[in-house]
Amino acid sequence: MGHYYLRRTARVFVTIWLVASLSFGLIRLLPGGPFTLLRANLLRQGVPASEVDARIANLQNIRPNAPLWEQYFDYMFAAAQGNLGTSISLDEPVSQVIAEAVPWTVFIVLVSTILIFVFGILLGAIQAYWEGSRFDQLVSGVSITLMSVPFYVVAVLALFVFAYQFGWFPPAGTIGPTVEPGLTPEFVLSALKHAVLPIFSYTITGIGGQALAMRGNSIQVLGNDYVEVARLRGLSDRRIATRYVARNAILPLYTGFLLLLGFRLGGTVILEQIFSYPGLGYYMWSALESNDYPLMMGTFLVITIALVIGVYIADLTYGIIDPRISRGETDAY
Amino acid sequence: MTTTSDQLHRPRDGVSDPILEVKNAKVTYDGGETYVLDNVTFSIERNEILGVVGESGSGKSMLASALLDAIPAPGHLSGEVLYHPDQNTTVDVLEFTDSELMEYRWAEVSMVFQGAMSSFNPTMKVGAHFKDTLKAHNRVVPEGLDFARELLSDLYLDPERVLDSYPHELSGGMQQRALIALSLLLEPEVLVMDEPTAALDLLMQRSILLLLEEIKEKYDVTMVFITHDLPLVASLADRMAVMYAFELVEAGPRDQIIGDSGHPYTRALLNSTPNIDAPLEDMQPIPGKSPAPVNVPAGCSYADRCPLATDTCRQDDPVFEDIGDGHIVACHHWQQATEEIELTFNQDEGGESVEGELR
Amino acid sequence: MPTETEDKESVSWQSDSGVSADVTRGERLSEFFEERVRKPAIVAWADRRTRIGLVILAFYIGMAVVAVFDLYRAPSTNQAPQLIGPFESWAYPLGTTMSGVDLLSLIIHSTPDILLMIIAGGVWATAIAVLVGTLAGYKGGMVDRVLMSISDVVMAIPGLPLVIILAVTFNPKNPIVLGILINISYWAGLGRSLRSQVLTIREDSYVEASRTMGVGTPRIILKDIIPNLMPYVTVNFVFAARYVVFASIGLFFLGVLPYSVQNWGVTLNYAYSGGALLTWEAAHWLLFPMIAIMGLSLALILLGQGMDRVFNPRVRTRLAESSESTRATDDTTEGY
Repeated sequence: MGHYYLRRTARVFVTIWLVASLSFGLIRLLPGGPFTLLRANLLRQGVPASEVDARIANLQNIRPNAPLWEQYFDYMFAAAQGNLGTSISLDEPVSQVIAEAVPWTVFIVLVSTILIFVFGILLGAIQAYWEGSRFDQLVSGVSITLMSVPFYVVAVLALFVFAYQFGWFPPAGTIGPTVEPGLTPEFVLSALKHAVLPIFSYTITGIGGQALAMRGNSIQVLGNDYVEVARLRGLSDRRIATRYVARNAILPLYTGFLLLLGFRLGGTVILEQIFSYPGLGYYMWSALESNDYPLMMGTFLVITIALVIGVYIADLTYGIIDPRISRGETDAY
Repeated sequence: MTTTSDQLHRPRDGVSDPILEVKNAKVTYDGGETYVLDNVTFSIERNEILGVVGESGSGKSMLASALLDAIPAPGHLSGEVLYHPDQNTTVDVLEFTDSELMEYRWAEVSMVFQGAMSSFNPTMKVGAHFKDTLKAHNRVVPEGLDFARELLSDLYLDPERVLDSYPHELSGGMQQRALIALSLLLEPEVLVMDEPTAALDLLMQRSILLLLEEIKEKYDVTMVFITHDLPLVASLADRMAVMYAFELVEAGPRDQIIGDSGHPYTRALLNSTPNIDAPLEDMQPIPGKSPAPVNVPAGCSYADRCPLATDTCRQDDPVFEDIGDGHIVACHHWQQATEEIELTFNQDEGGESVEGELR
Repeated sequence: MPTETEDKESVSWQSDSGVSADVTRGERLSEFFEERVRKPAIVAWADRRTRIGLVILAFYIGMAVVAVFDLYRAPSTNQAPQLIGPFESWAYPLGTTMSGVDLLSLIIHSTPDILLMIIAGGVWATAIAVLVGTLAGYKGGMVDRVLMSISDVVMAIPGLPLVIILAVTFNPKNPIVLGILINISYWAGLGRSLRSQVLTIREDSYVEASRTMGVGTPRIILKDIIPNLMPYVTVNFVFAARYVVFASIGLFFLGVLPYSVQNWGVTLNYAYSGGALLTWEAAHWLLFPMIAIMGLSLALILLGQGMDRVFNPRVRTRLAESSESTRATDDTTEGY
């Protein structure tokens, strides 16, 4: 048992290390290499040509002229200490930019994912209960339609209608320009107001698929002998619905949760761009546009770490809710 | 149905103190178009073990569900299921209100499904199933659990370990025994078992049968054992009933059914049954196949496969005839059958030796 | 579970021996066609979702044909007056853009490349997944562990950001390469679930029989295992294709992918940055590419769901044998 947790934890670090190495490798493939732009910038700022390399090394923890393997070790050691270099476009430490961005992205992704689950499960369960009814058919139809709408289409439409046409919600940013960060009602209200449209776009396009999955699972579980046996044993409908049907129908969705999480974290690159919402995805995209490689790799790495940790947590907790998962197996994904 | 044919269908099956009586039970689907149980009438003697034999799709699972008025939707059950808690009381199960039905099921007549694994909620401990059942019937949980432990020990299980396990942590045989304990938890009068040993290996089947006999003695429970495995139930049952194509075709004391069966189907079934000692050439598969529920033919439903079938068989549904000692058979040619269809598995011996071999 | 359509003659259990050995190749082929092509096709067509999905898909293929054979004018700037509304002029039924491009021609001429892209992406994702899944599942041991560790890592990388970085790095223009790039890591999750299916199939008695008879691994994989995976693979091909639609158009819209490729996402991007958000007059510029996207993904989803029903034995039995109830003939034949 303990062996499993140990191995599972080790895998988190191995994965992160592999992704960090991958991002280091990718930097080298990027057009113009990692330092061209920075070198040009520094020269323009009047830094003497002889000092440019030293400055680069100072800013990005990598000595441009060192052998590749030394660069690799420098990069990895610095990254392990949380030092991801300095953003070229923002002229700030990447780790600082990311630290400010992470909470917003996590907020959006977490809230929308939870909403999707809650509403999807409720809808799907009700559908399964009244299988074949008008309500079931209607919700199924709407679900399929919603599944075929990409979230960015809803995002653009929502922006168009609710932000630009009606002016109900702000079209950009995380909080109003005059609001001071802190746990004040104003701050919370402003943050919520700015987050409504992004969360809405993510949630509305995700509920359909989740409801359909829950519906299918529930119908399948309802056909199981143990539900019939429970009925014969005289258990109340309520007990059967919650403990016998719902729980067994929700369990398989939990694994899908992981894939959703990854999809949603990755999707922030598009979502936050549309709403100019400065989270991880937003900075990743702006770094890309301005060839700010340190920032780009930093955000990529952090998005990956967020996903790895999310999967890790879900993985560990899955064993608690599903007794059938034997902790000795590697099949926990 | 007219009264006369009703009476014709009511067999004189030698049951003197029935605990359950099924009269003209029919299960239909598609608004009455499809029969999956066709006018079955039989009774179960108090404290007996009744073996019901039939091949897959003969409607025997329907029969089991009918006893609990638990036909899965959208099936519809008609007829009468009469329950006699004691000799002088009669209640019609199909007239029960929901709460009466809830109290009847499991507390009076309980059931063991085929496939124990699928009868337990996979994400709940076995003990929780016991608790749920007790709570649902407003029993005192600690006392009920004590009784559960006693049942489990009687079934040669370690009570604490089983109650604290998830279903998948138990072997197939343990699950099956735990399920039997669960079905006996409320001390029912009748235990209906639908293929309770189908998924188990031979050794486990035998040991469960022995346990069932012990349980029956200790708890005075009437048992209905439904299976496709004729030799298996022959070793256990007091009386047997044979089903073919959603109908009852023969019923009677075990020895009569085994040694002196009157229905050609029963005889063919006995001959097709693999017997460890029988030479291979003696085993005879029954040619043809049983009718699907949609096209049960007029007349005797076995006529198409029966070597003795005549035009009478194809036109008239045979009624039950008493051929002695509560042995009833629905065949126009039962006398011919006993004479012409040889029982190949025990030419010289009686039914007792079958039992002996099987044990 | 009543997966078989006919009752088994459980009593006469010996009767079917001796039949299986001498079927001819032709009979096997026609049986294969009957069981795996014709029957599913009939059931599929009977499902309303599949039918609608196929009709919509046919419409898109029609658009692609129109574009490929140049049956409708190609889009170019100032070919029409600027910002004509939809349905105002029959010459430009869907209206025109800010720079006077016929919107309908933009949408039509984007179709071939998009279809090519989603097919490439779908084929890539499913082919790699089948390869990885069957190898890992069938070989087991070291091969299994290595392959699964790799797919675990791949699954842990968020798809879209990786695709973005790769797109910026390689800047691909060929729609086939684009399709593959977008689904570069899609195979991982699919491969994993295929592996667990292979694990179940390889325990089935007929596979074991093949093994005992000394049939080689490639042959078993090809003859016994892959045909049984096909239903699942087909359904997931459709879902992988849908993912390509979503992701590619999103990335075109973002401007990550090259503008030189004609794509609804590019149109969307021009509309978005051209200020279509701010006025109702340009709303159609935004709306029609969106409808095109949603229509295609709706077709794919309907198709996938319809096929899922066809291949799901539980649902199939219910569809095909509505007269026989599930429970009525559901006595397990296991003992025999």
